[in-house]
Amino acid sequence: MPNYIKIEILRMLRNKRYIIFVVGFPLAFYLLYSSLWGAEADSNGVKGSLILMVSMAAYGALAASMMSTSVPWAQERQSGWLRQLQITPLPSWSIVVTKLITSLLLVLPSLVLVCLAAVLTQGVSLRAWQWAALLPIMWIGTVPFAALGLIIGSLLSADSAQPVAMICMLGLSFIGGLLIPVEVMSATVKSVAQVTPSFSYADMGWHLVAGTAPPLRDVATILVWAAVLGTVAVFAYRRATVRA
Amino acid sequence: MKAIAFTDVSKSYGNVLAVDGLDLAVEAGQTVALLGPNGAGKSTSINMLLGLLRPTRGRIEILGRLPEEAVSRGEIGAMTQSGELIPELTVGELVDFVRRLYPSPLGLDEILKTADLTDLVRRRAAKLSGGQAQRVRFALAIAGAPKLLVLDEPTAAMDVESRLRFWAGMRDYAAGGRTVLFATHYLEEADEHSDRVIVISGGRIVADGTAAQIKAGAGGHTVRFVLDGQSSTGLDALPGVSAVEISAGTATLRTADPDATVAALYRGTSLEVRELRITGADLEDAFLALTREP
Repeated sequence: MPNYIKIEILRMLRNKRYIIFVVGFPLAFYLLYSSLWGAEADSNGVKGSLILMVSMAAYGALAASMMSTSVPWAQERQSGWLRQLQITPLPSWSIVVTKLITSLLLVLPSLVLVCLAAVLTQGVSLRAWQWAALLPIMWIGTVPFAALGLIIGSLLSADSAQPVAMICMLGLSFIGGLLIPVEVMSATVKSVAQVTPSFSYADMGWHLVAGTAPPLRDVATILVWAAVLGTVAVFAYRRATVRA
Repeated sequence: MKAIAFTDVSKSYGNVLAVDGLDLAVEAGQTVALLGPNGAGKSTSINMLLGLLRPTRGRIEILGRLPEEAVSRGEIGAMTQSGELIPELTVGELVDFVRRLYPSPLGLDEILKTADLTDLVRRRAAKLSGGQAQRVRFALAIAGAPKLLVLDEPTAAMDVESRLRFWAGMRDYAAGGRTVLFATHYLEEADEHSDRVIVISGGRIVADGTAAQIKAGAGGHTVRFVLDGQSSTGLDALPGVSAVEISAGTATLRTADPDATVAALYRGTSLEVRELRITGADLEDAFLALTREP
């Protein structure tokens, strides 16, 4: 399986779409936005450079986990690569486990690069415990998005998985307040935003950089989403790989 | 123990019976061609053999085990009909990845050499021609040194050059005492590259034997000549002749013994025989005769 993970990582790192959308965009947006609003502080006195760091890292991580699962998986099912694997001794559970591990590993470049950019260009500094909590939470917190990507890739053809994944990714990023702050949303949209996995995910980070513990509500929301999407993903995956 | 054993295997999709009571046994070490027109049930049979489909009825054993078990033990390698590669990976990476999935694979260099890919090892799959990609898929099929190699229309996307190299590779692989089963609708391929030809049509076996036996079974040779206006009476009584057709002034005799037929044609009749042609029955005639819709 390590070998399988290796080639999955390799192929995504050679994929221009992954590099541009998932690694390039969040980094470029961070550099742009933080140069505009990095010095401004929000109502709690937290600087824009910090908030934007979490937002862009969250966006990159969310995009990475969905992009590395949905479309490649739909393509593999359709193109016969899955079939090729099914006639080797590779156990079928290891395919889905590999997809999940790969997706988690592919989240790291954008997460780390955005944080690094924040430290280097904006002089962002956090206490050790904040980094120690922020990075793992923002990393593991992508599990519901990877599950959503697997659902899309299991149920749709490659052609329709592409736009659907894109819409989900951007939709979740917008409503979760990753691309525009939740504060500017209307009260109705805001109340919807609070139950999305993307908002809860980023909100944990925003709290951490403000020096407070993530609210229980966020943790609970993301766990519920992880459980629900994870269960659906298992069913969708089984349906997609069933041998008639 | 048989390499492949089908016992009364049927597969239906809804009301359509794709495979109908197939009984089949293949000894280890044989190279078998599964020949049949499109829709004959070749791919369905192969997908059941690989454990990708389950039979509606009957039992399949590969080397004494269920197909899924044989697959998970790495005893089967296969090229199914469509199967794209991962475009971002190189030939070497793909082959090495797949070979490492097997318990006792062939060496990487040996695989590349057999599939004639040594020069393409660093090329990405996205940049391969159709024939080259097929050769990579062949390499993936043999990578694990499977005892049973199954190829479903392996030369479909290949040009003549690739085809020649492919069959040379296949023969190298089979020479190690391994069992090979390949499906094709190219008659020459079945004729040239197999020890045994199984013809299936409508989900059933309609002929099974060496290519020579199948040709003989379908009426042997044909003797043709220009008859023009002469009488055809008595042609069907010539030695060996099983059928006579007259069309556009040409007589076509099907015969099991062309020498005797021709000798009798000259000595025993007063016909003026012009433009005599004798053709060995090719497998194509046999095939058409066998798979003709009733």
